[in-house]
Order: sequence, then C-alpha cells, then structure tokens
Amino acid sequence: MSQQSENTPGKKSDIEIDYDHLDVARIMDEIKARLAGESGRESSSAGAPDSARVPDFDLESGDGQPPARGRVRRLLLKLMSPFRPVIKLLILPVYDEFQQTVRILHNTNIRLDHLYEVTDRDRHNTIVRLDRLREYTKLLHSLSHNLVVEMTKLKIENDTLKARLEIMEKDFDFLGQRERALEREVFE
Amino acid sequence: MKLALVVQRYGVGINGGAELHCRWIAEHLKKYAEIEVLTTKALDYITWKNHFPQDEEVINGILVRRFPVTRPRRPEKFGRLQNQLLGQEHSDADELRWLDEEGPLAPSLIDYIRENEQDYDYFIFFSYRYYHSYWGIQTLPQKSILVPTAERDPVIGLRLFKDLFRKPRALIYNSVEERRMINALSQNESVFGDVVGVGSEVPAAPSAEAFRQKHGVSSPYLIYIGRVDENKGCHKLFEYFIRFKKEAPSGLRLVLAGSTVMRIPACPDILYLGFMREDDKFNALAGAELLVMPSFFESLSMVTLEAWALGKPVLANALCDVLKGQCLRSNGGLFYENYPEFREGLSLLLGSPRLRQTLGGNGRKYFEENYCWEVIEKKYLAVFDRLETEKEKAS
Repeated sequence: MSQQSENTPGKKSDIEIDYDHLDVARIMDEIKARLAGESGRESSSAGAPDSARVPDFDLESGDGQPPARGRVRRLLLKLMSPFRPVIKLLILPVYDEFQQTVRILHNTNIRLDHLYEVTDRDRHNTIVRLDRLREYTKLLHSLSHNLVVEMTKLKIENDTLKARLEIMEKDFDFLGQRERALEREVFE
Repeated sequence: MKLALVVQRYGVGINGGAELHCRWIAEHLKKYAEIEVLTTKALDYITWKNHFPQDEEVINGILVRRFPVTRPRRPEKFGRLQNQLLGQEHSDADELRWLDEEGPLAPSLIDYIRENEQDYDYFIFFSYRYYHSYWGIQTLPQKSILVPTAERDPVIGLRLFKDLFRKPRALIYNSVEERRMINALSQNESVFGDVVGVGSEVPAAPSAEAFRQKHGVSSPYLIYIGRVDENKGCHKLFEYFIRFKKEAPSGLRLVLAGSTVMRIPACPDILYLGFMREDDKFNALAGAELLVMPSFFESLSMVTLEAWALGKPVLANALCDVLKGQCLRSNGGLFYENYPEFREGLSLLLGSPRLRQTLGGNGRKYFEENYCWEVIEKKYLAVFDRLETEKEKAS
C-alpha cells in the first residue's frame, strides 16, 4: 500500500492519498476539512487589525541624519569656522525648526507605511470574507431555487390530492344513494 | 423486431446530447433489430425551422423519416410563457400551450405513429420535454420506451410530465441520479426502468502530439469540451481559472472546444478553438492534464465518460448531482462547489501526476464496466426481452 502527501504548486499539500485504494469521497472530505480550518484561521486573524497598535512617533529621536557633506561644503565650513559661533547663534532657531520638521516627516512616513500595511491586510481579509459571502449567497440562491421548485411540486401534489378527495367524496355519496335505492328495492 | 427511435432532430452534424445519443443507439442496435428514425426536418434547436428538404433519407444505414415542423418556435414568446409558467399558478391548458410553443411542433409525426403503430414493435422516445415525446407516448403508451435525458431543470416539475413518466412501458435512464429524481417527482417506481446511459466512439490511439502541433500548444492545459455557455457554468469556470492563475502563476492554459454563445474573457491563458471534429477532440483530450466540467445541469455528460475512456481525470461541478455521483461511483475525478474547493482540487491534481493517473485509471475501468458499447447493447436487449416476456405473459 502506498500512502503519501505530494506537493501542490505554491503550497505543501497535507492531504494523504492512498493510491492503492483511492477514495474520492475521502479526498474531498479532507479538502473540505482543510478549507474549513483555513477559513477559521482567516476569521480569527481578521480581528487582528482592530487591535493593532499604530506606533507613536518620537519627536526627540535623533535618527534621520543629513546626507554626507561634500568637499566644497567642508572647505566653506572651514573658512567660515571663525564665524561659526555667530552664525550658529543667528540660525539656531531656524536650524532647530528644520531638524524637527525632518524628524516629523520621517516619522510620519514610517507611520504611513505601517498604516498602509494594516490597511492592505485588512483589505485582503475583507476580500476573503466577501468571497466567502458570495459563495454562501450562491448556495442560498441555489437552495431558494430548489425550495421554490419543491414547493411548486408540493402545491401541484396538494391540488391533485384535493381533486381526488372530491371525486372520492362524490363517489361515496353516489354509492350511499345507490345503497339506499337498492335497499328500498329489496324491501319492496 | 422493428424499432422506431423518435427524436427532435437527427443528422450526422447534429451534436446535441440527446440527438447524438439517439444516433449512436440507432447505429448500435441495427445489428439486432430493424431500426428506423422518426424525426423532424429541423436543424436549429432554438427555432426548429425546417431545414432538411427530404422526407426520407438513409444515414449510416438507418432509414430516417422526417416530418415538417408546422410552426417554428418564437423564442421570445416561449421565454415569456415559460417564465410565467414557472413563476405563477397555471392550468393544465397553459402547460400544453407551453409544450406547443416549445416544439418542435410536428403533428404529422404523431399522426404517422398513430397510423403505423402495427409496423413497429416499440417506439423509443428521446428527451422527455419535447412535443414528440409527450404526444407520442400519449398516443401509444403500450409500445413506448422513454429515454428521458432529464436534467435537474425547473420544467421537470410541470404537471404534464408527472403523468408522462408513468405512462410508457419502460424508461431507460442515463444515471442513478436521474432515475432518483424522476422517481421522486412522479412516483413511477411501478414502471420498469433501468440505468443504461450511452457509450462512446473512442478512437484507438488519439495523438496528443498532433493536437499540440496543430494548435501550437506546448504548455500543460486543462480542457473543457462542450457548448461555451453560461447555462453550462462556463462563466464560473472562467472566473475560477483566471483567479487560480493569479494566485498560482504557471504556464497552465485552459483549452475550450465547442461552439460559443457567450463572450470569452480576453485572457492569454484561455485558448478558444471552436467546434472540433471528433478526431481533433480526442487528440485534444489525450493531451490534457484533466477535463474540467463546470456544468450545473447534466443528464449524463458524455464528454466526461469520453475523458475517462482515455484515462483522464475529471474536475467537475459538485452542484450537479449527476457529475458528483459519477465521480464518487467511479473514483475517477474530484469535484468543487466553490472557488476554494476548485483551487484545492486543481492544485492537488496538477501537483500529483500519480493522482491523475490513478483517477484516470479508475475512470477508464468505470467506463469499460458500465459504458462500453457491449454493455449498453446488452442492457437495451435485456429491456426488450423483459417487455417481450411481459407481453407473452399478458397474452
């Protein structure tokens, strides 16, 4: 007897197949069970984005350094070095504002990336849920259709039985009358 | 023994399920009995317009008598009437009006049956839902055998068919599911019936290579054979296949063989090849990884049997109880109800050549045991024997 799992494209199949006694019903049951398991996991992970924390950004953090300075820039800075304390004093407020803006932009970028990831995951889960709903709707549609057909048949059956009953009642009345007439004839 | 096979259309180029079924049965029974075919002059199954001019002709050794259709079907009027009939309370007269509208309205065919009934031992009617079967069986129930080729379709619930299934001497069903449905609908268990179906003309050595060379298909492919129609579930097949390809990109293609009545998505992986000759069809089937059958309503699905005859597995729509039942009985194919099941089933089949081979082998065995021509012919002969025995006992 050979029994084994085989790889399917893109994912590892955990369905065990007994090739010597192949049973389609069993394979289909395993596929359904596997899908039901996946569906359960998706449902539980679908709640995750709601509780996901969006990280706060830190205005005081020092990452996001300016790019490396060029040679000319270094030379100019060297020439201006005697005046550096004065210049620093003059541009200090603007520089601080600039640094803070860069940090804010950087952190906003990180936050947007995170939000995009969360939204994308959320969107994927919603698509999965919608697909499942669509399948349920189709099944319900099919069920309703079959119910309508069955109800129509039952209605037809009911009408036929009613008509038959009426005929039998009439027959019964007729037989009663006939019986009475025969009795009269016999007694006379 | 002289038999008359009565069918709505007949001809070598007519490939509708019941019509082809009738032709094959006629051609295989001709070695055991004298066979004639009684049919209409129609070719088009939508309008039933008279097409064949001759009243009689011989096709593959079978005498075919053709009767004119007195009034072609008016599809719009028929559609309205059918919707009204299925959605509202109606009378028996409405149902008979619907039957006339559905056609093919050939009263001379019924007259012929009535006037010449002594010339034939039995009349075998194909397709329960058409004019010729209803009025033919009403005219001559004691000599009628009905091959209903019934699908799970709402019109089968009409009152007139309930009585129809109780009238003939025997019924020859295509599948266990069809028999179960008709028994449940009309309580006709007392009428003798057997599940027989139909065989297929499978070539000895179809060439997958010839198909690949002719159509330039080098990658692995699934095949769908039949009318490309929403009623056959093709829209779902396209949706599922395109989605499958997005999720698991590969060189896999979907080959479609058959006439089309719907728009086919412009997807490079879907290859529409139109209507194919029989040898081309079998070559295509031989090269396919598997046959996919998305139809919701089938009475038997001859193409599924043909795939099994070639040892090919099948991936079928489980919402069609006949296809699901055939897959379970044969162990020759998987089935799906929705996209996740389609994806899993297809992945499993594509990922495992051994599974495809085993399923195909099971399918072939099932075909040989139940649907090869020897078995079908024996079953038909057994039905005639039984009816003859009953006739002798009664006389």
